[in-house]
Amino acid sequence: MKTTLALAAAAALFGALPAAAQESRLQEVLDRGHLILGTGSTNPPWHFIGEDGSLQGFDVDMGRLVAKALFGDPDKIEYVQQSGDARIPNLATGKVDLTCQFMTVTAERAQQVEFTIPYYREGVGLLMMDRGDFADYDALKAAGGDVTVAVLQNVYAEEMVHQALPGAEVDQYDSVDLMYQALNSGRADAAATDQSALRWFMVQNPGRYKDAGFGWNPQSYSCAVAPGDQRWLNFVNTVLHEGMTGVEFPFYSASFAQWFGEELEQPQIGFPVEYK
Amino acid sequence: MNFEFFLADLWAARANLLAGLWQTVLISAGSVALGTLLGLLVGLGLSYGRLPLRIALRIYTDFLRGTPVFVLILACYYIFSAAGLDLDAFQAGCLALTLFCSSHVGEILRGALNAIPAGQTEAAKSIGLTFGQTFTSVLLPQALRQMLPTWVNTATEIVKASTLLSVIGVVEFLLAVQQVISRTYLSLEFYLFAGLVYFVLNFAIEQAGRAVERRIAIPR
Repeated sequence: MKTTLALAAAAALFGALPAAAQESRLQEVLDRGHLILGTGSTNPPWHFIGEDGSLQGFDVDMGRLVAKALFGDPDKIEYVQQSGDARIPNLATGKVDLTCQFMTVTAERAQQVEFTIPYYREGVGLLMMDRGDFADYDALKAAGGDVTVAVLQNVYAEEMVHQALPGAEVDQYDSVDLMYQALNSGRADAAATDQSALRWFMVQNPGRYKDAGFGWNPQSYSCAVAPGDQRWLNFVNTVLHEGMTGVEFPFYSASFAQWFGEELEQPQIGFPVEYK
Repeated sequence: MNFEFFLADLWAARANLLAGLWQTVLISAGSVALGTLLGLLVGLGLSYGRLPLRIALRIYTDFLRGTPVFVLILACYYIFSAAGLDLDAFQAGCLALTLFCSSHVGEILRGALNAIPAGQTEAAKSIGLTFGQTFTSVLLPQALRQMLPTWVNTATEIVKASTLLSVIGVVEFLLAVQQVISRTYLSLEFYLFAGLVYFVLNFAIEQAGRAVERRIAIPR
């Protein structure tokens, strides 16, 4: 909290300074020859150091998509491995060109940075053993109070689980591995966690688990840029948009499959899907 | 405790952990060296400077010592770039720790010089030594011996403060460890390991300090 306050103060102080040059950052990045991407390094499958020692994840891939669009080479990136608290200040002070770091879009933040279009919709899901007692979400819900759900400890945890399963027993655990252990040992019938974390866990342990097939608590993840540079924002938006619906769909969907274990369906040809 | 997994993951991540450890050593050694040089000047100014200089240095040391290192780090990273001097995270972090270290060393030196009885300066004067000679052959040798233990203490403080640099994105040892934890979930094991490494690092510094102390001790 202290960190957030201090950084927010720093951002407020310096974010207000006028941009030195009126030229778009797009030109600046092109002239420099590489993209400076702000992202984290401690949250798989979003941004983390893999076993091979390199920074990787879905956020990193979004940055690579932008670098590919800029230079035809997804590797032309300089990473700034920032903490979550540094996301807004580093944009405000121009330390990074772009931040892709599982940033939840909120109206409050949108007053300080400019968000791109979302590239993922996060939510809470229910992880179950593949050969568990319950088939899916409907079965869990029907069982009412006979179901125990493991969840990461937090003030709203009980309320959050009860939004999806009103009758369920809620067991709170203080670390992710303990939560998964409860599921493995049968002390819990399901674990409620971020859809992305759940997907990633399933990718790492193929065949052991399944998704109950119900998600709630939606939130959008977007990249962000410093405010006031429409040209640069439009460029990143275009890149992300075409990643999800156009020529770069193979790149986006390969990344999606790698980190979330799900093969996306091709965007339908003909009328643009996004306006349906 | 998953000892087998821990060892396997430790081995797998050795390159990144070593790189992080190297950063920690580099940051700490650099900041302590530069901070000490700067701090000696500050201490001299505090002890022998004219009034305006003494007031300026007093504000400098009190301000730096009264500010959390964390705030100093953020200030160095963000304020300088807003002022047009674009320091990268490593440079800004080193600068913050150097300034912090210098304020402490300055105070330590001032205290050490103060602790030498005035009679010594008077005696030096009476046998005809100039101020420069008095300082280098009478005051400084005693002051340095006085300040060594506290200086070693400051060095270990800097090693510990270097962990705060992760916030501005310097991948020092603790952040490298956290990166492994985020992938393996072996938090207890790796945090214990990190604690042990920092302890060994600081213990080595303290022992080196003691060894120097013994070597330069004046036989009584």
